[in-house]
Amino acid sequence: MNFFLDLFMSGLTKGSIYALIALGYTMVYGIIALINFAHGEIYMIGAFTALLASMVLGSLGLSGWGLLLSVAAIAAVYSAMYGWTVERVAYKPLRGSSRLAPLISAIGMSIFLQNYVQLAQSPNFLVFPDLVPQIDFLAPVARYISRTQLVILLFTVFSMVGLTVFIKFTKMGMAMRAVAQDQTMARLAGVNIDKVISATFVIGSILAALGGVLIGCSMRQISFYIGFIAGMKAFTAAVLGGIGSIPGAVVGALILGFAESFAAGYVSSSYKDVVAFIILIIILIFRPEGIMGQAQTQKV
Amino acid sequence: MAAPMLELKGVRTAYGNIEALKGVDLDIREGEIIALLGANGAGKTTTLCSITGLVPPKSGSIVFDGQDIRGARTESLVRKGLIMVPEGRRIFPGLTVLENLKMGAYLISDKRAISQDLEYIFNLFPILATRSRQSGGTLSGGEQQMLAISRSLMGHPRMLLLDEPSLGLAPIVIRNIFDIIRKINRENGTTILLVEQNANLALMLAHRAYIMTTGLITLSGTASEFLNDESVRKAYLGG
Repeated sequence: MNFFLDLFMSGLTKGSIYALIALGYTMVYGIIALINFAHGEIYMIGAFTALLASMVLGSLGLSGWGLLLSVAAIAAVYSAMYGWTVERVAYKPLRGSSRLAPLISAIGMSIFLQNYVQLAQSPNFLVFPDLVPQIDFLAPVARYISRTQLVILLFTVFSMVGLTVFIKFTKMGMAMRAVAQDQTMARLAGVNIDKVISATFVIGSILAALGGVLIGCSMRQISFYIGFIAGMKAFTAAVLGGIGSIPGAVVGALILGFAESFAAGYVSSSYKDVVAFIILIIILIFRPEGIMGQAQTQKV
Repeated sequence: MAAPMLELKGVRTAYGNIEALKGVDLDIREGEIIALLGANGAGKTTTLCSITGLVPPKSGSIVFDGQDIRGARTESLVRKGLIMVPEGRRIFPGLTVLENLKMGAYLISDKRAISQDLEYIFNLFPILATRSRQSGGTLSGGEQQMLAISRSLMGHPRMLLLDEPSLGLAPIVIRNIFDIIRKINRENGTTILLVEQNANLALMLAHRAYIMTTGLITLSGTASEFLNDESVRKAYLGG
């Protein structure tokens, strides 16, 4: 039973981090029907920014929750700037061209950012500091949930609630939904599409950066390559849940997290990715639009 | 005579290599209702899209309120009060009726004006008030057309460009919609450019009309001239 609970918690936290990344894929796809392959790199840059910020702020004497929160905030802002710039440089000039052009440009951006971090930082794994403070009240249940896992869940839940409130109740959130549903009509209502697209990239990047901080805290090591693998997984999660659907991305990410965790525990850790992708294939055979995606109806 | 509110001169618009407008000239004075008539593919919708910047013209001039607006961004024209209700109504299906209306007021920052406008709309179309929490995609065709027109009114239009407002609607609903269009024109002084397949109906409403054939304006005159002219009736109005 304890073993099951361990696997459950590790699947839940892994799924949470996938969800934070997957939201960026699904939101961008919902708005401009582009798979932003550089999104995993934004997550990786978030982790690196957190590492550098924690060294600087730590040497300035900051510690505990203050350190963790300010590191997360700096990573979020920095990644947001990267996300914004990537869209301006690599996607906006290609708007209105064929659908393949921005896709290629996204892959190029992804390779560029990976190599840039590899050269500017390190080609090796770097040790990530333990940023999560001791949580005393967790002592009695420490066997079931670690402080890092608790922090991952709290960050994720707050992000999801924040995102939902933003999308449902703010003017920009409403404009995002409108642009996702009918871009031409949104323009006719006076929406500046470019601003909405930029905002989408910024929000997706903030969430990915938080994912990067959390993965650093939980794995305790990062490299320039982590964005590629996590990006693939999160993209899979977004497709699984139905790309374009925000709740779908979360559901897909949790399914993927649990599948990996249980497969690693009960089958073999070398088979965890196999099981995850078998689930993807099975779901896509029976529901090609994903779990919560809407079936595309072709107009004749 | 005052300068026209909107004036098109030699407007040419193309989709790739296919020229849809081959030099369109037309003018609209403030407060007028103008009908733009013609067969399918004559370029009526393209004319509206050229004016609003959705499909930027290749050449020619479009002057609105004394300013050349050819190639201007659509949202900047919405801000000037040039608002289009596109063909097929294009309600945001996943937004509620209220949210659809608020999208129409996207550029209006005065919250009090927005709630006054909502009250005005709900008086004009009480059915929208009872359906305000429903998602736009669940409305009937007639209700969607009411919502589409209401949404455009939320943006304080000075000129409305209506593309086929009668399309796919029952005759009784069409009469209701056309009464409202006349009311908007009379009471608010909103200028209206109306594209219609149903030429008879449009001419009953309009002051003047233009007829388009394959990318050019081929005939223009007052609505009563058209309605009384035997040859025009035969050629364009089905006898």
